[in-house]
Amino acid sequence: MDKKYGVYICEGCGISESLDMAALKAVPEDEGLTTKTHPILCSADGVAFLKKEIEGGVNTLVLCACSRRVNYDTFRFDGCIVDRVNLREGVVWSHPRDTFAQLTEEQKADGDYFDRVQMMGEDYIRMGMARVEKVKLPEPYKVDNLSRKILVIGGGITGLSAALDAAKAGYAVTVVEKEDRLGGAALNWRSQLPTADPYDRLIPPVIEAKIQAVKAEPNITVKTGTVVARLAGQPGEFTVSFKKPGEKIEFDVPYPLPPEMRVDESGKELDAENLHKKFLEYNEGRKDILTLDPNGELFGAVVLAAGWRPDTIEGDKYAHLGVGQSPDVVTNAQFEAIAKKGKVVRPSDGKPAKSVVFVQSPDKDEDDSDFDYAGAVTSLVSLKQAKYVRDDYEDGKAFIFYQHMRTPGLNESFYKSMQQDPGIFLTKGNVLKVSKNGGGFIVEASDTLLGKQLKVKADMVVLAAGMVPVTKDDAIVNMAYRQGPAFRDIGLFNGYCDSNFICFPYETQRTGIYSAGAVRRSMTTEESMEDATGAALKAIQCIESTNRGVAVHPRSGDMTFPDFFFQRCTQCKRCTEECPFGALDDDAKGTPKPNPTRCRRCGTCMGACPERIIGFADYNVDSIGSMVKSIKVPSEDDYSEPPIRILGLVCENDALPALDIAALNRLSYSADVRLIPVRCLGSVNVIWIKDALSQGMDGVFLLGCKHGDDYQCHFVKGSELAGIRMKKIGDALASLALEVERVAQFEIAIDEYDKVPKIINDFVESVEALGPNPFKGF
Amino acid sequence: MSETYLVEPDVGFIKEVGKLGGQDLKKCFQCATCSVACPISPDNKPFPRKEMIAASWGLKDRLIGNADIWLCHNCGDCSTLCPRGAKPADVLSAIRAYAVTEYATPRALGKMVNDPSKLPILLAIPVAIFLVVGLILKMFGVNWLNFAPTGDELWQADYISNYLVDIIMVPTFFAAIGVFALGLKRFLADIHANALLEGKTTQKKIEPVGFVQALIKTVPTIMKHGRFTECGENKERATAHMMVLFGFIGLFIVTGAFFAAEWVFHIEGPYSQINPFKWLGNLGGIALIIGGILMIAKRMGQKDQVTSYKDWYLIGLVLLLGGTGLLTEMLRLGGMYGLMALVYVLHLIFVWALFAYTPFSKLAHLVYRTVAMTYAEYAGRK
Repeated sequence: MDKKYGVYICEGCGISESLDMAALKAVPEDEGLTTKTHPILCSADGVAFLKKEIEGGVNTLVLCACSRRVNYDTFRFDGCIVDRVNLREGVVWSHPRDTFAQLTEEQKADGDYFDRVQMMGEDYIRMGMARVEKVKLPEPYKVDNLSRKILVIGGGITGLSAALDAAKAGYAVTVVEKEDRLGGAALNWRSQLPTADPYDRLIPPVIEAKIQAVKAEPNITVKTGTVVARLAGQPGEFTVSFKKPGEKIEFDVPYPLPPEMRVDESGKELDAENLHKKFLEYNEGRKDILTLDPNGELFGAVVLAAGWRPDTIEGDKYAHLGVGQSPDVVTNAQFEAIAKKGKVVRPSDGKPAKSVVFVQSPDKDEDDSDFDYAGAVTSLVSLKQAKYVRDDYEDGKAFIFYQHMRTPGLNESFYKSMQQDPGIFLTKGNVLKVSKNGGGFIVEASDTLLGKQLKVKADMVVLAAGMVPVTKDDAIVNMAYRQGPAFRDIGLFNGYCDSNFICFPYETQRTGIYSAGAVRRSMTTEESMEDATGAALKAIQCIESTNRGVAVHPRSGDMTFPDFFFQRCTQCKRCTEECPFGALDDDAKGTPKPNPTRCRRCGTCMGACPERIIGFADYNVDSIGSMVKSIKVPSEDDYSEPPIRILGLVCENDALPALDIAALNRLSYSADVRLIPVRCLGSVNVIWIKDALSQGMDGVFLLGCKHGDDYQCHFVKGSELAGIRMKKIGDALASLALEVERVAQFEIAIDEYDKVPKIINDFVESVEALGPNPFKGF
Repeated sequence: MSETYLVEPDVGFIKEVGKLGGQDLKKCFQCATCSVACPISPDNKPFPRKEMIAASWGLKDRLIGNADIWLCHNCGDCSTLCPRGAKPADVLSAIRAYAVTEYATPRALGKMVNDPSKLPILLAIPVAIFLVVGLILKMFGVNWLNFAPTGDELWQADYISNYLVDIIMVPTFFAAIGVFALGLKRFLADIHANALLEGKTTQKKIEPVGFVQALIKTVPTIMKHGRFTECGENKERATAHMMVLFGFIGLFIVTGAFFAAEWVFHIEGPYSQINPFKWLGNLGGIALIIGGILMIAKRMGQKDQVTSYKDWYLIGLVLLLGGTGLLTEMLRLGGMYGLMALVYVLHLIFVWALFAYTPFSKLAHLVYRTVAMTYAEYAGRK
């Protein structure tokens, strides 16, 4: 498109009071660009004014007003490139004139004085102009064979609920279940926890009704005795090969080479060709991931509801609980199976189990944690099963020894109701020992609510085994992705398939595949049904976004996607390996094969690429690099004491909002920094830092979100990757005889707006202490 | 206490306590607000938190022989503040009722006293006794029971001779004392053992002299209702309780005096209305009625307090005793002798029930609480 530029400066919200408008206008005017001001650009009049400009032929607008995080819909003009120069939050509000004084008339006349805030505003306009010159209007990426079908993996309560929800919304659904009948874990239950008001009693399992509803739904196809052998392709056009459990077929998904096979005898990494050879040997009999199954079925999105398995409790670790010493010490799952058959009886002799002790925590070595994978559900199940004992025997007694009794939400009513039963006895306490006593047991516990060490007689002991997500044992989805068939294990989720479940529930690290139910965390039936709805909606969102050629999440609606200039690719595979979402596969030579609909548009590949051949239409190495280069770096030629210049690359997800909030609260920071928002710190290419330093800027900092155990990155590992890259840049700086302290990375949470000014000011101060960049003025 | 305690919950006990007014006991989640709220709970091993968990675990042995349940005056501060609505005050009250039946022999009678369906039988017993004894004596020519006396001015003794009343009431009274004595023996041993077990006492043994000294110290507190007035929630209740207590004491003195007049000095009634004993009697009767009515009003107004049969039984008895007594007198003065005789029969039934069933009913607190308070004083429970 032929760009016709227009620069529009808003005078409202304090901008014209603080800044010299004529001087601001002069910046684009000097470049020969149309420049106009308006009292309030976001007003109806202002928008009409802009529309008129567009009608007049302007298609590339630099709007110098407020932060792009506000009024984004007001200033959306389809078919136009729009850049939002942040004069309000970024300059005026964050640099009030009572702190940063305007120049007096005499000072203005004396050329050695300068107005830091005015310089800032002018720089930002220059940066906006530089950016719009380099970006293009994005065009959507459309898949060739869009399928609107949804695949649900798992025919348990979650899978069936998701299938029904999606089908009711008008989408065709296929449910695959590895067992020969639908129902999953719920088939083994006598009664289940309440799912509706008044939440105070056990109800018959709801699974049978769900099964019938699914069978009656014409939009749902059920495949029992079936598993997914491979899921290839990308959202919108996943090609899925099914098989019977245990069967071996050529479209079984290949596995990546284990690390020890990726090196030669001397421990050196094999070259691409040899790696591929080894890979083919390792996966003999299986087609490579890039080969599509001609008989595969197409799906648009996947709901993963594969559920859980009861944990096994065995070994010496639990010997003090009588594990392995008597068949009458059972797990909650085994107890449920007994109860399902009839009255609860002891497995050893079939005699009534009238006194049952439920142990919630193994209490080993002063550790009060519960059994692995236990949680609210195991607490609730202990209450449920205690009720079985009471229902079966008039004189039955059920004891629950717990360290934690978790009954969240309205389940509190269920807890209260069970507590009211005269034969159910609850106490916090450490279970010390389970020992045999005649045909039964004596269970000893200390630190109980009864204030003393006590023991009770029991016919049976039930241990609260947790719910292990099946994704811990098996890939299940079997994705034909170069990064592997399972979700990337980032060592934080203990086998649960989750990316960042606080901010983005259902979203796994693989776009188009949404997890629900017990693969996400242990859940009750009620929670699972609700979760299923969420995942079904996500799957629908994915299909519809893909259909429109835009990103699904978290950059919902983003029409850009990474574009590769393959002629210059060196097959280094960094993009393929570093992509947090496995969006890139590669061919035999190692050339990346993008799958745009798997992509979340974070730009991690762009930050990784040493050849800088990856970019987005409106966000690329050149566009940001040009912004950096457009910043004026004053030297001693300009002023006797020139101000320093510092570049800040800030994450637009957390750091930028924090800065905006700081500005809203009129918290100020140094006027010598120039901030550029980036999609993710993972997208930061080190060339920008080099550019900044080589043009004389005195320091560069990266401001991103927190990483580690409680990471807040929208793209899982942006800050982490940036951290690694920053370490490497140190050597390059040393070779330029620059101090490594000139480059730094900081973490900030979205709500830590009050800390942001200090972080920036401290860095500015530390750079000032280092003295000016020796490259200044070259 | 390092000793491991074998817990064998008594589900029947839990259910029984529930029926006696402690139906919310299982709601307790052991926050101990009750023990903090209680103005009269001692600092060392305070009640009622520990009683609540013991009750919800059905630890009968830990409760009925626990003097602390008697130190509670049921003012209800704990129930008002309980975040879970477990009503500790009512639970303790129910446990006390259960304890009373445990210590009183025969136990079956205790069960009957707490069972509303058995009330007609219980009230029929004195009628039967009076009829049987009266008719047997009649066969031997002793005419102490007269169904149709004649004369212009009659009084109740013309129908049922005071001698007949006395030869039935006095043994009943002493039988009750005997039942109490038997129960107290076990009770004292139990509360001492429990105090030793739970570390609530500094005394190794119960020395009679020290115990009597403690009793002498305790009685004024009881008379002055010292404990009651420490309560926050239910302060006014002390007035009603004091009226009933002093009403009973007054009537007891009057009964004793007239018994002596009859048997020792052979002065026959009815006595003059200006006789000071007569005044005391009338005042006592009025005190009972006003006290009883105040108690009912209080209970009706108290939303977070459970009023179960055991409570209505006692209040009912108080009111009916005072009511039938005064009514008998008024009917006699009004010359409505037939009706007088009928009301008098009722009065005698209630008096007998008072004597006979006290060791089994809520009224037994008169003895157990006194002993428990004395023991607390003696044991240095603070």
